[in-house]
Amino acid sequence: MLLFLQSLLNGILLGGIYASYSAGFSLIFGVMGVINLFHGEMVMLGAFLTYWVFTLFHIDPFLTIPLSIISLFIFGYLVQRFVINRVVEEPPMISYILTFGIHLIIAYTALWIWTADFRTVTTSYSGFNANIGGMIVPYARLATFGLALLVVVGLYILLYKSEVGRAIQATAQDKEMARLMGVNINRIYAITFGVGAAITGIAGSLISTYFIIFPQMGLPYTIIAFCVVVLGGMGYIPGALWGGLVLGVVQSLTATYLNAGLSGAFTFILLFMMLVVRPAGILGKGVVE
Amino acid sequence: MVVVLITVGLLIVPFGGFSEYFIRLLAIIFLWIGKTGCWNIISGFTGYIDFGAVGYYGIGSYVTALLMSKGHAPFLISILVSGVVSALIALPVGLPTLRLRGAYFGIATLAFAEAMKQIILEFDKTVGVNFFEGPHGITLPIGPKNEFFYYIGFGVMIIVIGIAYWIRRSKLGYALRAIHEAEHAAELSGVDTLRTKVKAYMISAFFLGLIGGVETYWLTYITPHMVFDLLITIQMVVMSLLGGIGTVFGPVVGASFLTIIYELLHRDFPYTYTIIVGFIIVVVVLLMPKGIIGTLQTKRVIQKTRPAE
Amino acid sequence: MGLLEGRNLTKYFGALAAVNSVDFSVEKGEILGMIGPNGAGKSTLFNVIMGVYKPDRGEVVLKGRTVSGLKPHQICRMGIAKTSQIVQPFAQMSVLENVLVAGLYGRNLSLADATREAEEILELVDLGGLKEIASGSITVPRRRRLELARAIATGAEIILLDENMAGLNPTEIEEVLKLLRKIRNQGKTLIVVEHIMRVVMGISDRIIVLNYGEKIAEGTPSEVANDEKVIEAYLGEKVCFV
Repeated sequence: MLLFLQSLLNGILLGGIYASYSAGFSLIFGVMGVINLFHGEMVMLGAFLTYWVFTLFHIDPFLTIPLSIISLFIFGYLVQRFVINRVVEEPPMISYILTFGIHLIIAYTALWIWTADFRTVTTSYSGFNANIGGMIVPYARLATFGLALLVVVGLYILLYKSEVGRAIQATAQDKEMARLMGVNINRIYAITFGVGAAITGIAGSLISTYFIIFPQMGLPYTIIAFCVVVLGGMGYIPGALWGGLVLGVVQSLTATYLNAGLSGAFTFILLFMMLVVRPAGILGKGVVE
Repeated sequence: MVVVLITVGLLIVPFGGFSEYFIRLLAIIFLWIGKTGCWNIISGFTGYIDFGAVGYYGIGSYVTALLMSKGHAPFLISILVSGVVSALIALPVGLPTLRLRGAYFGIATLAFAEAMKQIILEFDKTVGVNFFEGPHGITLPIGPKNEFFYYIGFGVMIIVIGIAYWIRRSKLGYALRAIHEAEHAAELSGVDTLRTKVKAYMISAFFLGLIGGVETYWLTYITPHMVFDLLITIQMVVMSLLGGIGTVFGPVVGASFLTIIYELLHRDFPYTYTIIVGFIIVVVVLLMPKGIIGTLQTKRVIQKTRPAE
Repeated sequence: MGLLEGRNLTKYFGALAAVNSVDFSVEKGEILGMIGPNGAGKSTLFNVIMGVYKPDRGEVVLKGRTVSGLKPHQICRMGIAKTSQIVQPFAQMSVLENVLVAGLYGRNLSLADATREAEEILELVDLGGLKEIASGSITVPRRRRLELARAIATGAEIILLDENMAGLNPTEIEEVLKLLRKIRNQGKTLIVVEHIMRVVMGISDRIIVLNYGEKIAEGTPSEVANDEKVIEAYLGEKVCFV
């Protein structure tokens, strides 16, 4: 029983992280119809940023988060403005291929510069665990989970309580109408992409505290983001939370009771089944292009 | 006429005293043209971009590997069975996924290919047998020399491109193009869109499986990571894009070009090749979406219809 | 029993009945007009007939055979074709090739036969001179005639025209009306949806009127024009219509 609960708890914690870096993916698709296949690279960049700052300047990973936010926002904004914006009006397949090209460029350039070595961020508190009713949870993980949830909530607040957020939503719902109301669509696109990148960068920074990081780590994260968002509903931000938790728990339980490799197979089979049977997500609120 | 000369020329190359390396390189190009041609038959003609094509290549690889190493079956039978098995698997995969709109089809097929890789990796361990050998891979007996594969590769290339050419001009070709242009209108005009798409998908899967079998015999050693590598699909995509997606000869141009770049780069600058592939994708999508052949064709069509109406 | 009948057809989108218990019947060689305010369910009804939507209740009966629930391409091959409100030519294919596809698959002809048929049909709709031109680059009125040509090429006995004349000027409309009469005289049956009242009134043998998904009137053009319910639906109030 304890094993089950531990596995479940691990799954939930994992799911929270998944949700935090999938939300950006969902946002970008919901607003622009762009499927961003270099999404995982933004996680990677956030993680590596934190790693280098930590290794070179000994600044605590949690403190580098603002840096991640700013750098990734700028990165996302610029890439969208100058590259992606040219294809937003095209069918999603085009952005799919284009962003995949960008994924290759970023991932392999990173591989070239930083080599394939695995790296970790080990802080003074990395080894300390909390003991909750017999279940072991590293403090760092708990903090990361909490922050991850904050990110999702923060995004929600941004979208619903701020002026920019409302402009973003308007653009997502009816572009022409938003344009008529005076919204600068191109700027909103760039901002949205920047926001998506920024929150993904935060997730990357958080992840560096307890996952191994390496330049090619991006693609698996992109695939997970896919899966999470399809489960929760493409373009539906709260769905990222559901999708993340479901996927995290499924993966954790499969890894515990079957084997770790199979949990990978399960993810893909689950993704496949969802797309075929219920592309609008578990709650049915996703956009089906 | 030129085509005939080139074909004859290629046929006698192995007797021309060229280096092993050159023969090997040409054979590799032939097989890439074949693979890209397959990918183009489904993705180029219908517009449904298949991101899981390597799945069938991998399935074919394993079928041949198993048949030849454990079953001691002859080569030609093995590759044919590889093709058939791949095509049969393509049916239940294609039927539900080809109903999905564009981008979702890409994701679903990607998931399929990755799932296949994971399954073959974990199958033996999970079920408790010694069948696929998991990550250790399968080894085949050493086979014939490069010249053999040169001719096999040449033959496969001719067949695949030939089929693409034939499809284009046939009734099926019209249906595929109509689906690409305006699927709903095609359906309303009497085209059984699902069946047509599945047909193209299965043809593509058959030959991908067959080629997988051929290359397995050549490599004599395969692992799931090698034969289900996403980069194989990506190269098919890029070669098609560069050459001209949806054209018959685009794969020839794209595959040749990219394979040569690979040969030039991969030894000394392994990552640079992939980075360049990435740049080619970006440049082609933004500036030259029809690829080389496609852009040339459009120029010709515009000239033909220039006489104002 | 009519050539094509709809019995108690109902289609829901969520909680809203876009088409609600609609009955209709068309005889061979008839031109049936269908009118109604925007959103009345006319296009939805066409889509139900065409198999794009499966009705939640009721059935579509063609020549005595229930066809509701079949796929559009099957219904096309059985003899019904539809033009779309938003024209969808196979843009990169030539005008001739567009019609060719319909002949190849709607009627299952060989390439040679379908090509010949396509050329004849293009002459009929007066697009013969453009047959090699990419269909995406011709003008809108011509694209609409191409839609019609495609529908004819499928060999359909019944053609559903969904606002095929929207945006045309009076001269162009006259030409299309002449064409429709010609087609009818060749033995085809037409159901025409149009917003331009005088067009529908002028060409239809009978008219049915939809409002909020329900059929509210049926009859000859003059009967319908004087029907109180129809007037109310369009004008929103009871007015005398001389």
